[in-house]
Amino acid sequence: MGLLLITRFTLQEAFHRWLLLAMLLLDILLLAVFALMLNAAYSNELVHAPSQSNPQLFLLEFDLIISILSVWAAYLLSGALAIVLSINMTSGEIEAGTFSVIVSKPLHRAEIIFGKWLGYALILCTYTAMLFFTFLGLIFWRTGYFPDNALSALGMLEISTLVLLALTTLGSTVFPTLVNGAIVIMLFIGAPLASFIQLITTPGPTVQNITTIVNLVIPTDALWHGASYFLIPSFLYSILQQRGILKDLNTPFTSIQPISTALFIWAILYCIVLPIIGAIRFQRRDL
Amino acid sequence: MSSDSILDMRSGDPRPQQKESTSKSNDARSPAVEIQGLRKVYRQIIAVDDISLVTYRGEAFGFLGPNGAGKSTVVKILTGLVAPTKGTVRVLGQPINHVQSRRQVGYLPEFPSFHRWFKAREFLEFHGRLYGLRSTFLEKRIMEVLEMVGLSGRENQKLGTFSKGMLQRIGLAQAIIHKPELVILDELVSGLDPVGQRDMRDLLRELKTEGTSIFLNSHLLADVEAICDRVAIINQGRILKVGAPAELFDKKKVLEVRVDHVSAELLQRLHTVALDIQHEEDKPDILLIEIARDEQSADIADIVHACGARLYTLAPRHLSLEQIFFQTIDALHQ
Repeated sequence: MGLLLITRFTLQEAFHRWLLLAMLLLDILLLAVFALMLNAAYSNELVHAPSQSNPQLFLLEFDLIISILSVWAAYLLSGALAIVLSINMTSGEIEAGTFSVIVSKPLHRAEIIFGKWLGYALILCTYTAMLFFTFLGLIFWRTGYFPDNALSALGMLEISTLVLLALTTLGSTVFPTLVNGAIVIMLFIGAPLASFIQLITTPGPTVQNITTIVNLVIPTDALWHGASYFLIPSFLYSILQQRGILKDLNTPFTSIQPISTALFIWAILYCIVLPIIGAIRFQRRDL
Repeated sequence: MSSDSILDMRSGDPRPQQKESTSKSNDARSPAVEIQGLRKVYRQIIAVDDISLVTYRGEAFGFLGPNGAGKSTVVKILTGLVAPTKGTVRVLGQPINHVQSRRQVGYLPEFPSFHRWFKAREFLEFHGRLYGLRSTFLEKRIMEVLEMVGLSGRENQKLGTFSKGMLQRIGLAQAIIHKPELVILDELVSGLDPVGQRDMRDLLRELKTEGTSIFLNSHLLADVEAICDRVAIINQGRILKVGAPAELFDKKKVLEVRVDHVSAELLQRLHTVALDIQHEEDKPDILLIEIARDEQSADIADIVHACGARLYTLAPRHLSLEQIFFQTIDALHQ
């Protein structure tokens, strides 16, 4: 009961903050610009397609690239919202002194943490799904292309957002807001570095081990690569493999392999265990 | 469960009959707050050092001390915000980590800081629900407590537009919305104007009359004198003395006397009726004369006239809290 009250309170608070409204307005603006650019770019592609050796493959290539780029934008935007929305989840309340009258109520402190976590998780998952489907919906409206495994890709994005939320939840019970923000932003932005380094070097055990460690510390980039794998249609893999250019799809932004099962399970555990550690930490904290 | 109790539970009132003084009197002398050997150390700083005390149900208990004495730490321990390093604390017969016992406790922090986006009604509804109150009772109770704290008509106003005094009032409203058995207040009147201070003291007296136990943390002597049955003086994390306010604060009767000229003869004759005579610093024509009884004021006037001096002022001088407090502390140390 207390948990749901805190969840409701968190939802109310989020909708009263200008942050969420500002993000939504900017998203509408961004989507409008994207729709205009998509329309212009696709019209241009249609003009040039007949002169290509394989016009269908030429247009599919465009559909694929624009889909991956737009979903990548959704991944970054939902990640950014996860950080800015929840970064002060606990620390902000402690710093503002607003927790005194809530924590002294007949509630377990864990109910406060999990109630807030649930509230933010609902907002972020809804936001990610809305953005994801709006981008792909616009692409489908103009090009008629929609990834076969879009739901699997969305699942990866949602888990990635929840990973960031788990991190901010724990960090917010341990560090002041600014420190927590710095740590999470550094990790989120720094995580793709491993992918870049892997691309420009010859694969070796050391680089591989470092990449694995980075993915364990912050699995968001691995989840994004997992999402990108599901955005590429399966028939394209066989075509590209026949032509010997499949490896060209292995970029810092895309992957030709799904996320490993072990890493996927780790990401799920990450989303569950970090908030639990945060709740235990908060239970023992003097306010 | 009786049929009355079932009806009460349905209405959402967690303590429907508790406001009757008769039921409170049954609990007289059963403890509201029990503290035994309490110690709190923040890193290496001792905030509270081996405190033991008991307050009783229906009693208004004052916790008086200067800033940094450890008062707020004790209150935070009582409300579960801070864990004690050592010692046992029971509130209404339950250990402080017993979540359900907090249903009968209301708390107003020292600096009420609330979510500014809440409207007054939403704020009280949220806190009422956290106490387990249900809609039917809660709606009625919200209007009642707003009336009690003088915020009627403000139910749809956002807390962000409230003054400091209004925040103090709404803070008290959330502390009493569930008709608690024990109200813990960390500084009652900070931020309130004189009218607000009077209103809050009246409200607390009313709660006390209804049988609510009060634990009032304050550095204002006027608060504890107006409301409390017993007072504990705390300084440097230790309780120095516990007792009724009148017993603890041995107030001296001091007169401020201003004359045109202080002669040796005048001083000599004043000493025959005064307990003590002090000169006001940098003001040689002002004497601070301590007397034993009020009627000796007339004797002082007679002596001034008899010595040929002109009397400009003869008025009681009230000691500040600081003076009284430190006099008490000094006396206890001696």
